[in-house]
Amino acid sequence: MIMKTIKEINEKIKKGEAVVVTAEEMIKIVEEEGAKRAADYVDVVTTGTFGAMCSSGVFINFGHSDPPIKMLRIYLNNVEAYGGLAAVDAYIGAAQPNEDPDVDIDYGGAHVIEDLVRGKEVELYAEGYTTDCYPRKEVNVRITLDDVNQAIMVNPRNCYQTYAAATNSREEKIYTYMGILLPEYNNVHYSGAGQLNPLQNDYNPETKSFNTIGIGTRIFLGGGIGYVIGEGTQHNPPFGTLMVKGDLKQMNPKFIRAATMPRYGSTLYVGIGIPIPVLNEKIAERCAIRDEDIEVPIYDYGFPRRDRPLIAKTNYKVLRSGKITLNVNIDGKDVEKTVKTGSVSSYKMAREVAETLKQWILDGKFLLTERVDTLGRAENKPMKSPITLVKDILSKPPITAHSNISIMEAAKILIKHNINHLPIVDEHGKLVGIITSWDIAKALAQNKKTIEEIMTRNVITAHEDEPVDHVAIKMSKYNISGVPVVDDYRRVVGIVTSEDISRLFGGKK
Amino acid sequence: MRKRVYYWTDSEHINKPVISDTILNTGVKINILKAKVEPQEAFLILELFGSKETIEKALNYLSKFGEVEEISKVIKRDLEKCVHCGCCITQCPINVIYMDEDYNVVFKEEDCVGCKNCLKACPFKAIEIFE
Repeated sequence: MIMKTIKEINEKIKKGEAVVVTAEEMIKIVEEEGAKRAADYVDVVTTGTFGAMCSSGVFINFGHSDPPIKMLRIYLNNVEAYGGLAAVDAYIGAAQPNEDPDVDIDYGGAHVIEDLVRGKEVELYAEGYTTDCYPRKEVNVRITLDDVNQAIMVNPRNCYQTYAAATNSREEKIYTYMGILLPEYNNVHYSGAGQLNPLQNDYNPETKSFNTIGIGTRIFLGGGIGYVIGEGTQHNPPFGTLMVKGDLKQMNPKFIRAATMPRYGSTLYVGIGIPIPVLNEKIAERCAIRDEDIEVPIYDYGFPRRDRPLIAKTNYKVLRSGKITLNVNIDGKDVEKTVKTGSVSSYKMAREVAETLKQWILDGKFLLTERVDTLGRAENKPMKSPITLVKDILSKPPITAHSNISIMEAAKILIKHNINHLPIVDEHGKLVGIITSWDIAKALAQNKKTIEEIMTRNVITAHEDEPVDHVAIKMSKYNISGVPVVDDYRRVVGIVTSEDISRLFGGKK
Repeated sequence: MRKRVYYWTDSEHINKPVISDTILNTGVKINILKAKVEPQEAFLILELFGSKETIEKALNYLSKFGEVEEISKVIKRDLEKCVHCGCCITQCPINVIYMDEDYNVVFKEEDCVGCKNCLKACPFKAIEIFE
């Protein structure tokens, strides 16, 4: 099965004789020649990905001031860096927001990192923890990347093998790490390089392991040379991840780009490319994986839970086409809906990464490394977090009414049951509106006669499986004090009021 | 000739077929790009097709029943900042933005009505709209 070794490939690279292709090119080669002949002929397949990688950051050693300082509270352009390290070491994380709440996520840790790579001056302000050997209280200087000893990028989670795609069932727009998701499934957003993705091209689905990538693999990272440290956090193939490192001083701002996901957070778009040595036929075959071969689940991000409802399964080819047809439930009706798809990562840039790495290898500037060990164990352990759902606090059957009752009858119901909210339902028990005691008072003052004249029709609702925390947020956002609870067919099954929530949270203190 | 306008219908004319009457009385062709109708007000984005004289006649006619504002906004993208991620594509209500075969994000600038949805969605702040 073994046909060649990395050592042999490196000898070819040094002589300028290696055959290097990108993963996209490899698809055609394997299609036309077959995997065995491709394995004979091709030495290296380059891969690439370019997307938001929030779990990224940089260790910086600033060098000692005089008199020396043991920095504890550290800010770079007003973005806090972690200072619980030795005296002038710090870690600036990409997702850290600005200390100034008016700036917040518009200029965060990622933006500091990009500015450093661009050679810009950055303001360092730090407060010291004074000791006998580090007597200085404070330091405030302007620095550039050239002024620091080391700026070592260490990214705990990068290079996701596959991303779930996202859509939104809610009646409102939501703002997520997958961008802005429109109401009622009106768009689907996806991420990831698909057939160009490093981990996808190196994956063995039978053993859930990777053919060549492991600890010590040399990689393209942000325009410089980097290395795989090991598996990234939340590594769980086929949702594999990598922990990587590189030298910020070698990097190119073209491949290290700060961004702000609207109303979500700062993030760093990172370009990563990994060369895959084509050591045998099996590896060659996997390097020819296509967008249509990679399954992508689409989840409903409008559901504020850890496990979101699966709306559909698709693949990268469909997603890249720009549109997709979904079968969804809207207001209790099954609907087939064709909507736009949009990427939130850049395939164009991923191509450029793979192409750049290919050129480095052809120019003899980049040699491959043998991994010293495979990536570590997959783990998927949810946090042990308590949760209270709406159904946990529903007690009495709901009091509802039909819209054909009189206002006087509605008033009597509110008084009799000592409630302030009365959901109005149709003959099937489906919610069509709601009236409150305030609506009754207004009706009397304005001489209104019928329920339909006074009821609110656009009702904010909750679901039995919805966290109570989220209902509280909705009440506050819309300035309401009661929310009918409906099932999937919009039948009223209960009601949650601000009194219920106060009682619940009061008990938790 | 083509012209795009914002149009607010006065409340007293909200239930009248103003658009149909404009078409019948002036011969202009009208495409309704966006409509937001509420009890007190209607807001529309209209696209008018016809000769210069016809469009002018149509605008005068529309002005009798509401307020017309020409759309003279220009959308501009900073290609230094843009990485062609595609976050903006699904945000455009009139499909001005798409991804081409080489995975470039492409703007049909001439069709833009300046709603700013793409501007708000861009993680790199690469989109500007001049008014």
